Amino acid sequence: MIKRLFVPTRLDEIPIGTRVIAYGLLGLWTLVVLFPLYWMAITSFKLPIDVANGPAYVPFVDFKPSLDAWHYIFVDLGPDTYRPYMNSLVIATLSTVAAVFLGSMAAYALARIEYKPPVAAVGLAVLMLALVVAAVGWGGVDLRIAVAVCGALFFLLLRPIVRRARRHLANDDIIFWMISQRILPPVVTVIPIYLTFKSAGLLDTRTALIITYATANLPIVVWLMFDFFASVPKEIEESAQIDGATRFAILFGIVVPLVAPGIVATGLLVLILSWNEYLFALFLSTANAQTLPLLVAAQNATRGPQWWNMSVLILIMILPVMLLTLTLQRFIVKGILVGAVKG
Amino acid sequence: MQSSSRVSSSAASRRGSRRSVAANWLDRQAPYVFVLPAVLLILGFSIFPLVTSAYLSLMRFALGEGGYELKFVGMRNYVRLFSGSQQFHFVGVFRPPGVISIAVMAAAALAIGWWLVRYLRGGQRSVIGGIGRLIAAASLLAVVWLAANTTGDGGALGSLMVTLFYVVFGVALQFLLGLGLAYLCTLPLKGGRFFRILFFLPLMVTPVGIAYMFRMMADTAVGPLAPLWAWLGLGQIAWAADPWLARIVVVIGDTWQWVPFMFLVLLAALEGTSRDQIEAAQLDGASSWRIFRDVIWPSIAPVAASAVLIRLIEAFKVVDLPNVLTNGGPGIATESMTLHAFIEWRTLNLGSASAVAYMLFFVSTIACVSFFQLVVRRARGRQS
Amino acid sequence: MQTQASRSPQHANPAGQHSKSVSLRNVSKFFGDTRVLHDLSLDVRAGEFLVLLGESGCGKTTALRIVAGLESASEGSIYVGENDVSQQLPRDRDVAMVFQSYALYPHKTVFENIAYPLIVRKRAKAEIDAAVREVAASVHLEPQLDRYPRQLSGGQRQRVALARAIVRRPAAFLMDEPLSNLDAKLRGHMRAELKHMQHELGVTTIYVTHDQIEAMTLAHRVALIDKGVLQQLDAPARIYSDPANLFVAGFIGSPPMNFLRGTLANNRFESEGLAIAADVNHQGEAVLGVRAEDCALVAAGEGEFRGRIYSVELIGDHSLVTVNVGEQQVVVKVSNMFAGEIGTEVGLRANRERVYFFDQASGKRIR
Repeated sequence: MIKRLFVPTRLDEIPIGTRVIAYGLLGLWTLVVLFPLYWMAITSFKLPIDVANGPAYVPFVDFKPSLDAWHYIFVDLGPDTYRPYMNSLVIATLSTVAAVFLGSMAAYALARIEYKPPVAAVGLAVLMLALVVAAVGWGGVDLRIAVAVCGALFFLLLRPIVRRARRHLANDDIIFWMISQRILPPVVTVIPIYLTFKSAGLLDTRTALIITYATANLPIVVWLMFDFFASVPKEIEESAQIDGATRFAILFGIVVPLVAPGIVATGLLVLILSWNEYLFALFLSTANAQTLPLLVAAQNATRGPQWWNMSVLILIMILPVMLLTLTLQRFIVKGILVGAVKG
Repeated sequence: MQSSSRVSSSAASRRGSRRSVAANWLDRQAPYVFVLPAVLLILGFSIFPLVTSAYLSLMRFALGEGGYELKFVGMRNYVRLFSGSQQFHFVGVFRPPGVISIAVMAAAALAIGWWLVRYLRGGQRSVIGGIGRLIAAASLLAVVWLAANTTGDGGALGSLMVTLFYVVFGVALQFLLGLGLAYLCTLPLKGGRFFRILFFLPLMVTPVGIAYMFRMMADTAVGPLAPLWAWLGLGQIAWAADPWLARIVVVIGDTWQWVPFMFLVLLAALEGTSRDQIEAAQLDGASSWRIFRDVIWPSIAPVAASAVLIRLIEAFKVVDLPNVLTNGGPGIATESMTLHAFIEWRTLNLGSASAVAYMLFFVSTIACVSFFQLVVRRARGRQS
Repeated sequence: MQTQASRSPQHANPAGQHSKSVSLRNVSKFFGDTRVLHDLSLDVRAGEFLVLLGESGCGKTTALRIVAGLESASEGSIYVGENDVSQQLPRDRDVAMVFQSYALYPHKTVFENIAYPLIVRKRAKAEIDAAVREVAASVHLEPQLDRYPRQLSGGQRQRVALARAIVRRPAAFLMDEPLSNLDAKLRGHMRAELKHMQHELGVTTIYVTHDQIEAMTLAHRVALIDKGVLQQLDAPARIYSDPANLFVAGFIGSPPMNFLRGTLANNRFESEGLAIAADVNHQGEAVLGVRAEDCALVAAGEGEFRGRIYSVELIGDHSLVTVNVGEQQVVVKVSNMFAGEIGTEVGLRANRERVYFFDQASGKRIR
């Protein structure tokens, strides 16, 4: 009898039993998604006493909403809230622009130009890097001197090596190398980066984070934009070349407008990643360049159980991302899919 | 016809000569200009730190007068993690072996050994393939051994096992939930579009925010689920004080955030399944389950494998969730390896921190490369 | 009157016992507000090869899918044999379908593909093995049984799709433009194969195509559909020689039938440059239709038409001459030795028995 609930009665129609279960499960997950967000939203309007008295679920019914927490965060803590907010805004935006700009250029080049770096040259570069590290670590040589000397050595030895080189890498290898950088856990690179910025006097500055985020996100930009560029028909560019346009003019004037949706999608993705980034900020910033994730985490330590204040902080942190994403969500989905499906 | 082409070609040459020498030179350098900034930055921020980190992991950092001092100690940092003073932190606390753990170990050893032998005797083997599989098998065996000997009474997990726990169970849960939700959304139900947009929401919430949100939610005394806990008689349990409960809460938070990613990718894959094949199977008489098994699953396998790989790569790096949700506690019970490294760094053990970071690098690389070779490539190969 | 009204299906193989008649009764289909099928009624006799012919988007594939059960009819019903199957799931209708894209399972071997319908119905392994091998032999696929679809050529894949449909011994075959993905040469070869196979097996077949040559060569009867409305259901010969309306007349035949607008009055059809006797009772605006092979070029002043040569195209075994008659054009088939010059004044004579008249407003044939 129960089985009959699951047998379709008409064509094109899902049996009632299946429909009930499907809606039920989907509804359940909707609840799972929305409830925590709802809870946090109403908690930001609660007073400490509302929280301590046990869970209050509906505003105006279980408790009287108040703007106390909001006031505290924005007024009482004013500068301490605005500073991280501005930092996050500036850092995320600038690093995204840089990453998208440099990464798109590289992706375009990899899609259109054939590179053949000799394996020997790559080996030479890595060798020079190791030399710099050894010199600074063991020999106590100043970083700048070491870089200058090894850099000069590199260029000197480059010519003869390239001329005699036999094995070459191809574009695919370069792209693979860039993408494989994602596997590298940031925690492995963060300590040396910390030391580098420290010796350059750039700790706890926005600049440090901008450069770091831009670099960390370059592989993603290259990965995603490569497919977009590769799908632009070559004929358009070729006819522009015949007309005498420079490569720069072709890229920025003709190709970029064609892949604009891809750029928006990628930019959005990178923006969100930069906005939410935690690890590098944790190591590289303390007070001046504190970003929002750090602020929330730091508050967690001192104000842990102050749910009302924390809710406000988190809300103002996630609302911009949500609004931006919701208005442009079609682009993000395409961006993630292009990357994921291509693997 | 003839005259106009002459006009256009002379116009082009006029345009060409208008370009300065500098512009021409720049154009010829374009291949370098386009690619070098990205390459240099990545070289500078990846390879250089990678080498430096390796170097640091062989050092002991000490603050001296006027500055710091790095003393070469060889592999001592690594040894400490496995059998020295940091063993409890990284590998865990061993408990006396019981019957079950020995049985599990034996079964795993047999299964893995049999799989290895089958490959070595099989038709398509190569040196690299063999070495890779050997490494994978050895690692898997080591993990099983660790798991068997640190769980249960008297044992405690170290950051290595905790990270693996997060990765394996988290990603598996996210995959299953994402697949289920995606499949439900492919049914002709009303409101499909509404669900899609809605389910996307958690991806937009900052992980730090998620961590705190779930900390609020999980509070057994004044959290929103408090009545439920009380009704179940669990009202007084402080989940934050129990290692396993705390880890589960972290996995829940991670799952809440990442199910949407799996959902989106798998939904696209499901919708990309050839409708013709599904209809052919319907006409052939296959039931819904058979259709899923014979038509849909093989069709989404490559994308699903890629998506799981992407999640695996990211899951190894988790740090914000355990840090904010539980602060690594109770004790070190929820510390992921990244968090472990951070804590070492905060106590100025640069060498130890670098060693832990490198271990994470090795573990995640072995796991991801193995997964790629053994699962992703197989899934892709089966398609035309 | 000796007619070829319908080629009645005579079959070599009584495996056609399984096959049943298929009927569409007053089937209409709406997609949202758009009506795709208008009150379509068709009876396909058991063992008959019926072709649904029409342009893309005319609804023929929709009609096929409704018969299969992949879509439901908004109105009307489907019968297989005596049974009303309108509400039944595809798998219960005992019909097999060959898709335009073949829809082979890429990760199964050819053997497993063909065997799938039987595996799903839980037949015995030995029985499956025998059935698959028998069918594979009949479509010459035996050497390919262990291969995968991606290793096969287009023609081979199509035969796998066919084999998968045959192995079930269904009551009817449904085919959705199965030859359209093949190149021209292979298509001709497969046409012959299909025709032979249908004759051998004697299974009721409904075949969808936009290619009139396939329709004319394969069908026992053709159902010509335009914008969801059945235009004519007849044997190919009669569709060709006795079109029911303007659409049918213009769709069938290559080169297409010549149409000339004019006026019918007092048993005469007249237009600029043309005057011809018309044995029909009708007054008013009309369209005259005559095929290129039913006209002959004559000297200017003779014949019913008068005009100037516009162009001459050598086809191979014949030539086509386009003649301007007043403001309109007529294409005439002539011998490939024709040496007329563009601009010459000529006359045209039409075969009176092969001239058709259609009402200009409704397109219906005036008899």
